Amino acid sequence: MTGLPRPAAGTAEADPVIADELRQLLATATGRAELAGITLDTPLFGAGVGLDSLTGTLLLRQVRQRFGVDVAAEDLNLDALATLGTLASFVGDRVAGARAGGG
Amino acid sequence: MLPVPPAGCADVWWLDIGTVTVGRPELAELSLEEHKRAASFAFRSDRRRYTAAHVMLRRVLSGYVDSPPSSLIFRREPCPRCGKPTGRPALPFGYGLHFSLAHSGDAVVIAVAGQQVGVDVEQQPTGCVCALSADMNATDAEWGRPLAEAARHDLVIRWWVRAEAVLKCTGEGIGHGIGAFPVLGSPDGPVGPAVPGGPDQLVAATPAHGCSLISLPAPDGYQAALALAGSVSGIRLAVRAPWTAAGARRPSHDSVR
Repeated sequence: MTGLPRPAAGTAEADPVIADELRQLLATATGRAELAGITLDTPLFGAGVGLDSLTGTLLLRQVRQRFGVDVAAEDLNLDALATLGTLASFVGDRVAGARAGGG
Repeated sequence: MLPVPPAGCADVWWLDIGTVTVGRPELAELSLEEHKRAASFAFRSDRRRYTAAHVMLRRVLSGYVDSPPSSLIFRREPCPRCGKPTGRPALPFGYGLHFSLAHSGDAVVIAVAGQQVGVDVEQQPTGCVCALSADMNATDAEWGRPLAEAARHDLVIRWWVRAEAVLKCTGEGIGHGIGAFPVLGSPDGPVGPAVPGGPDQLVAATPAHGCSLISLPAPDGYQAALALAGSVSGIRLAVRAPWTAAGARRPSHDSVR
């Protein structure tokens, strides 16, 4: 089945540029270069890439600094943190919304 | 059978994951839930850290309750804040035994006590951690302001392990915020790095959020902290398994390697 596109749930709208920036933030926050290559459907918390509470909190703080999006405050269920793709979609939506709103 | 530490005392067990082999006999000691969680890691290194830590936890606790490692059943107490089952890990029937597990990088640390206990260890991140200042208690964050960058990164991680140790001791976790109370304060300045000691040492504790808190001597490149519920002026630590001398461990723990 190689060569066929494989759709991943909940990642349809992930902006590839934002996803790449998030991968870089992840790699820097954890000091693990291999995280720069994870796929959109990779879970971030709970297991997945093994983010602990420190690196997870650091990632969210850096997302806030870089994109101006406070994920923890705006998404109380933290569904946005399910995978790299859901986080990229969430950040992309908020960034686009801020632009559309003239912010 | 190991005695449960008396009031004001804690047993500390270190493991260097770099020195262990986790094979079939070790994996057989884990529960279905632990296997499921191990399988959900995307990277082998994370799976290895998780499995080694949980094999270690079962083997250490089995020495206090006189039951085989694989027979232990873990439950989560309710969070004292919200009642969700995200609180402290515990054994059914308790055994009068409290414990806490932390791992980061190659380090696993387990604390065992006769009262609520919380432990945390973090490998010092290579990148900048100043973004975390926004999560710090304002008093603690103030200490970092005049420091040069490397010293500030050091302080931020010292703050983190101390605050997280307290929140693991109470069972609140960091989900409800980690900056509600100061953990670095002293009249002379922020608390310094932990002072390495022998296998048995009394460490002066500072009060924080209803707990007694110390920085825990940790391997190079790591910081750690330990909190006991209640108020004591010092915590007596018994290091049951040191970081480096893995060969000195009791025979039943040797096969973790």
